[in-house]
Amino acid sequence: MGHKTLKALCCLLIAGLVFSCSQEPEDKASLETPELRIQKQTATPGTGQVEVVHLAGGDYGYPSPYAHYPRGPGGYKMCLIFDSLLERSNKGLIPWLAEGWQVTDQGKGYIFTLRQGVEWQDGKPLTPEDVAFSLNYAARHPMTWSYIFDLIESVDVLPGNQVKVTVKHQTAAMLDNLGRTRILPRHIWEKVDNPKTLTGPEAVIGTGPYRLTSYSREHGTYRFEAFDRFWGPKPRVKRIEFIPVSEPILAYEKGEIDLIRVSPDLLPRFANDSGHRVIKSPAFWGYRLLFDTTRTGPLLDKGIRQAFAHAIDRDELVAKIARGAALPGRLGILPPGHVMAADPVKSYGFNPETSGTLLEHAGYRLPEGQDIRIGADGHPLAFDLLCSNREVRMAEILKQRFLAVGVDIRILAVDGKTRDSRVRNHHFNLALIGHGGWGNDPDYLTSHCSNTFSTSSSPSASSGIGLAIPALASLLEKQRLETDSAKRRDLIEKIQHLAEEEVPEIPLFYTTAFNVFRPTKYDGWMFMFDHHSLEHSKLSYLNWKEWH
Amino acid sequence: MVSYLITVWVILTLNFLLPRLMPGDPFVYLSGEEGEDLPEISEAQKNYYMIQYGFDDPLYLQYGRYFARLARGDLGQSIYYNTPVSIMLARRLPWTLGLVCLAVLFSTILGTLLGGIAAALRHHWVDRFLFMGLIVVSEIPAFLLGLVMLFFFAAFLKLFPLSGAMTPFPGPMTALEKLSDICRHGALPVATLTLARLGGIFLLARNSLVTIMARDYLITARAKGLGRGRIFWRHALRNAMLPIVTRVFMSLGALTGGAILVENVFNYPGLGKLMRQAVLYQDYPLIQGIFLLVTLAVLLANFMADLVYKHLDPRISGPKISPTTVQA
Repeated sequence: MGHKTLKALCCLLIAGLVFSCSQEPEDKASLETPELRIQKQTATPGTGQVEVVHLAGGDYGYPSPYAHYPRGPGGYKMCLIFDSLLERSNKGLIPWLAEGWQVTDQGKGYIFTLRQGVEWQDGKPLTPEDVAFSLNYAARHPMTWSYIFDLIESVDVLPGNQVKVTVKHQTAAMLDNLGRTRILPRHIWEKVDNPKTLTGPEAVIGTGPYRLTSYSREHGTYRFEAFDRFWGPKPRVKRIEFIPVSEPILAYEKGEIDLIRVSPDLLPRFANDSGHRVIKSPAFWGYRLLFDTTRTGPLLDKGIRQAFAHAIDRDELVAKIARGAALPGRLGILPPGHVMAADPVKSYGFNPETSGTLLEHAGYRLPEGQDIRIGADGHPLAFDLLCSNREVRMAEILKQRFLAVGVDIRILAVDGKTRDSRVRNHHFNLALIGHGGWGNDPDYLTSHCSNTFSTSSSPSASSGIGLAIPALASLLEKQRLETDSAKRRDLIEKIQHLAEEEVPEIPLFYTTAFNVFRPTKYDGWMFMFDHHSLEHSKLSYLNWKEWH
Repeated sequence: MVSYLITVWVILTLNFLLPRLMPGDPFVYLSGEEGEDLPEISEAQKNYYMIQYGFDDPLYLQYGRYFARLARGDLGQSIYYNTPVSIMLARRLPWTLGLVCLAVLFSTILGTLLGGIAAALRHHWVDRFLFMGLIVVSEIPAFLLGLVMLFFFAAFLKLFPLSGAMTPFPGPMTALEKLSDICRHGALPVATLTLARLGGIFLLARNSLVTIMARDYLITARAKGLGRGRIFWRHALRNAMLPIVTRVFMSLGALTGGAILVENVFNYPGLGKLMRQAVLYQDYPLIQGIFLLVTLAVLLANFMADLVYKHLDPRISGPKISPTTVQA
């Protein structure tokens, strides 16, 4: 019995139980329009302090920058303890440990002016030497979430509480990368050669708003308490407790946890109850259809790829696979909620006729009485579609849609790791892949639109699984070197429009989620500008708006 | 002895090779669960890790290092969890062990008892009711049974906690309070596993007893005028226990993975959950450590079965008697 089936059964049972246990009469009219009460962001939150907020736990590792686990929300727990030079608000990067910054040496130098009066949680003051040490250390020893490993030339402490970082290569994403790197206390870490082994209480001393006061690896519990000498905005939550949860909805109903994500099926219960508030997450997790274009074949033809884009009904995928909790993919790749998303020029609506015409122009004709198109060389237009076992249903829908335009698809369903490995080694024709990070710095477009291995850091960057198109490659290189934000935005817009034309891949849909919480218990939740989770934002727990 | 050593060597070698024969490596992060955050990892960073964990060495060197470490009792460091494997196993094993041992104990006692009642009342409505009822229960998958228990006893009646093995952040507690807390958390997972195993034990006990009851020596016992209860519990049940003991120890051998679904339903911190994640993340040292533990558990269970067999059936430990003598 697969894990997916188990989850589906859970949802079914929970839905039944929740509805059957409901004490309130069902409002049929409001069931049909739950989105009326769904918000994209919290209403203006209060400023009062609450004693404790409970959240779903699970073991994500010891919350030091080196010891938390790579997947899951371990890194965001660590961020409650450790600050960085810049922080992520709902609008973009904001000054944090650095009060200001300037870019010099044509994008190879960054001068940060540090905030004064900041204290480590063991009582020692934060110094520019701590910052210089941390950046150098992270460049030599990659943190679990590493942004600057092997990318720093030098770090110098300047007069006036400033630090100058010189990087090896000029890249537009470097400010973001430097800004996200966690700052460590030099007096603790300078003698540590293997930082992964440092897991004592001293490993979780940061300058952040929360201190770790309890952690149980096997039970997956964490307790964070507000640091009373925190330099920044006053914490609105005195204690954050992460506890083990079997079924989040039952735990929320019982009042054991204060924030959950619900499926669209359960939405009406919460969306129509004033005791709960529902907020829709930005869609920064998505599926895409990849083309292997490293070998000769029909996929090298732009017309074929455009035909594929017209053949797929992305709204159908949203309705049937994500059950409405998603946005259809855009051929410009960046999702609609991305800070640099451009309005599409070519939308590639579902149109089998146009798709058929494009395939005809590409030389693939449909012989009378047959279902599959034949090329000039007599070969049928047929492909293998590689997917993981979890995505077979989606692959079946795609197969039907492709068959309708005369393209034969053979589904190859394997386990997730096998699929990843085959994609990475270009052992596929077409592949389905799903991952997060679609809200990140748009430099990730390089990994989507290039077939060379990249040294930049994004979830799929090391894959080099895109399509090599010289015009696109040139624009991608230009944006990478452009440190002027307005000029870079123009370049990113051009890249998106060129991607719409060239179709290096087909983003299928970006999933969203419905977050539910009780505003009377706590209402400070907010998103980071590039991330889909409310509880991951450090500012969610702080009186940031008043301080700001 | 030599054959035993060869078996162990083959198992350890397979243990080393199998995870490495899986496609991919621990540092490929192309896809994730829906909504999951993936680490950002560059080629330079991947190479750093490959060197740090020694995965860039030729396979024979890694193989030699694996045996050298094992000889020192070192199971290595988990890549994903960044913790010594032995510590991880030591922390998780007691929870699974407690869960499975109690479930095996309860299901064996209850199954044998009910099997005995059904065998004694064969063709009676009680027998038919138990037979049908327990077959139906044993056919329900353990996780589904767990979900029903969770919804009814924990969510609806609020008699038990929803998840975990202990109350998080409980404050000061006496040893008795702590024990009671652990029992409350373990009650539903144990009950689920017990119910899931009950049908099998019941059928085995019932069939075994029905067969034994027809044997000549029991007819003799009845002819000698022994009481019905004495014949049943002392003579029949003792002989009927042999296949049940085999079954019990075979299930003990598979204890590390046996509770995987139930642990997932109740979010119980056992080994089953850990094993699933180790395979999913291709954490070679952890996979090796868990598989080694499973191997040892099977060997230990076989050894214990031998000991109990000797006690139950004196012919096994007594002087060797040729089959012809026994028949005579």
